[in-house]
Amino acid sequence: MATKKRKSVAASLATATCSLLGNAATEPVQAQEEPGWDFNTALLYYDEGDGRVQDISFNVLANRTFVDDRSLSLTFVFDSLTGATPVGAVPFSGPQTLTRASGGSTYNVPANEIPLDDTFLDTRYALAVNWQQPLGRLYSLNAGLSSSFEYDYTHIGANVELSRDFNQRNTTVSLGLAIANDDMDPEGGAPIPFAPMLDVGDLSNKAGDESKDVVDVKIGVTQVINRNFLVQLNYSFSDSSGYLNDPYKILSLVDAVTGDPIPRTPAPGAEGPLHEYAFEHRPDSRTKHSLYGQGKYYMSGKVLDLSYRFMTDDWGIDSHTLDLHFRWPVGESSYFEPHLRFYTQSHADFYRVSLVDGVPLPTYASADYRLGEFDALTVGLKYGWKLASGNEMSARIEFYNQEGDAPRNQLIGNQLTREMYPDMDAIIAQFSYRFGK
Amino acid sequence: MFRISNSVPTSVRILFVFLLAPLFLFTDSSADTSFDLQDYRGKVVVLDFWASWCVPCRRSFPWMNEMHEKYGDDGLVIVGVNMDAEPQEAQAFLDEFPAKFRIIEDANGELAKEFDVIAMPSSYVIDRNGDVVQRHLGFKVKRQEEYESLIQSVLARNQKEF
Amino acid sequence: MRGLAKTLFLSQLLIFALAGCNSMGVEPWERDVLAKEEMQLTVDPVEAGLDDHIYFSKEASSGGRGFGGGGCGCN
Repeated sequence: MATKKRKSVAASLATATCSLLGNAATEPVQAQEEPGWDFNTALLYYDEGDGRVQDISFNVLANRTFVDDRSLSLTFVFDSLTGATPVGAVPFSGPQTLTRASGGSTYNVPANEIPLDDTFLDTRYALAVNWQQPLGRLYSLNAGLSSSFEYDYTHIGANVELSRDFNQRNTTVSLGLAIANDDMDPEGGAPIPFAPMLDVGDLSNKAGDESKDVVDVKIGVTQVINRNFLVQLNYSFSDSSGYLNDPYKILSLVDAVTGDPIPRTPAPGAEGPLHEYAFEHRPDSRTKHSLYGQGKYYMSGKVLDLSYRFMTDDWGIDSHTLDLHFRWPVGESSYFEPHLRFYTQSHADFYRVSLVDGVPLPTYASADYRLGEFDALTVGLKYGWKLASGNEMSARIEFYNQEGDAPRNQLIGNQLTREMYPDMDAIIAQFSYRFGK
Repeated sequence: MFRISNSVPTSVRILFVFLLAPLFLFTDSSADTSFDLQDYRGKVVVLDFWASWCVPCRRSFPWMNEMHEKYGDDGLVIVGVNMDAEPQEAQAFLDEFPAKFRIIEDANGELAKEFDVIAMPSSYVIDRNGDVVQRHLGFKVKRQEEYESLIQSVLARNQKEF
Repeated sequence: MRGLAKTLFLSQLLIFALAGCNSMGVEPWERDVLAKEEMQLTVDPVEAGLDDHIYFSKEASSGGRGFGGGGCGCN
């Protein structure tokens, strides 16, 4: 009987360390709210279709303002995840059998399909707290703690931000710092990089638990241009070190001529993979630089919000993100907000479609599609309305499409005729309710 | 003319060295915008610059009403200077936070510029001789007592002359 | 490394250019539009957090935004 493999949410969604800095847990410092509680709640549904990842997320941001512009916010997030995600192995004309990461059982992949690592239900809880207050008349301080928990992944972090206004508050300069420590304890143990996938019950390719540390630094300037126009420019630096591999991602070992996976025979009486696979190996450090610019422009009730982000890192990845929101009020108490987002990234230097039999092993290699070269487009529409009580509701629906290509110069033999990169189409649906003061 | 009294801190003195005379009159046929400091000689004036979108003003209004009730008979006059570009927004604020004191309009910002307003809200405490004694930037609930003591001390001054 | 050098140079330039712009802006009493909720840099932090989480999980980039400034500028 197959043992249920408990797949961490982290492996599928690489959670927990995102947004160490920034909007994670505070309401906008809209100068000096009335003392009291207000709540921002949201229910999100995310679905990639085709048996891939589905996520339901429930979020609450509870904000308590105190007199004289001080506030405390508490954020609680609950995620429930199901579905499968591309594991990194190549598709080919025959079926494949792989051992689950736990080492407890195997699973099968039909012919001509990109192997998906099937995941069972898993849940994640996240809790963050932030305190915000002015320091003197022109400074503002924000400090917080963040945490998230899954059965095999724990994140804890701390963040602090200091802002100072200049030019009669037309200019704001901010500095932020965040640190985090994430601990991974995948079922069966974290794989040894490049270790082969073994038969069921053989955990000699696994080590114990692993961890990583992340430091983020950000500096930004916000400038009022005129009565209707505000801009912001931020530079961010991020450094991660430790175990940066995805413990569930592998690469296929393929024949140097056909590009097909090399067959393997499990030990007598054992169940195991029928082809050769190795666990991925990423560097143990990553340094990222980002430049982000945003503008908000008011035009007789309508608001145009446009932002651009450039990211470059020492893994060889460059990305560009262009994000556009346009708020269109309808009457006194509702609005439409179309949304368009373009994203493109280059692949990591060590991104490999597969490992080639007979070729010396590269220093690092990963077939994780998220480190590959792709373009993504999000198209969405949000509708928001104010109730008679003054509380607000909103609903949005978005379509997120990712299309990529495996680098042509890495494809061998039969791989040239196959769809090697797992394109993705997801639906995002969200309902929000804000109430309180 | 405009004199700066001895108790004013240096920073405020420097500020007002270049201040043009606030003793001018503007009138507007439709709204109450006239403000002439001469009209208030002998009274202590708190000149408060506010706007409907200024959230601390929601706390300063009840407090100013309280000061108006408490010290009106002693010669305190509070004048709220509204900076809203849209008069209906100012009215909506006043419907929610009624003012017992006088409200005038300064949509074009002339009075604000004359008083060198650098923050919202701002309030100027002016003594019975027409001199600005102190300026408060913003409104902090925790400093209400301090604001009130200042009013009391200014009311007590020069009382015999008037 | 070229990408990094370009980023750093551009960002230094723009940050200093903006910070030095003390002739730009509005008077303290002209912030009615900037005070509106829909004119804040992050209007809905929960939605922004959800989006950041989704894109962080599915792409190789993350973060970038989030800081104060703008708004009514009161107190």
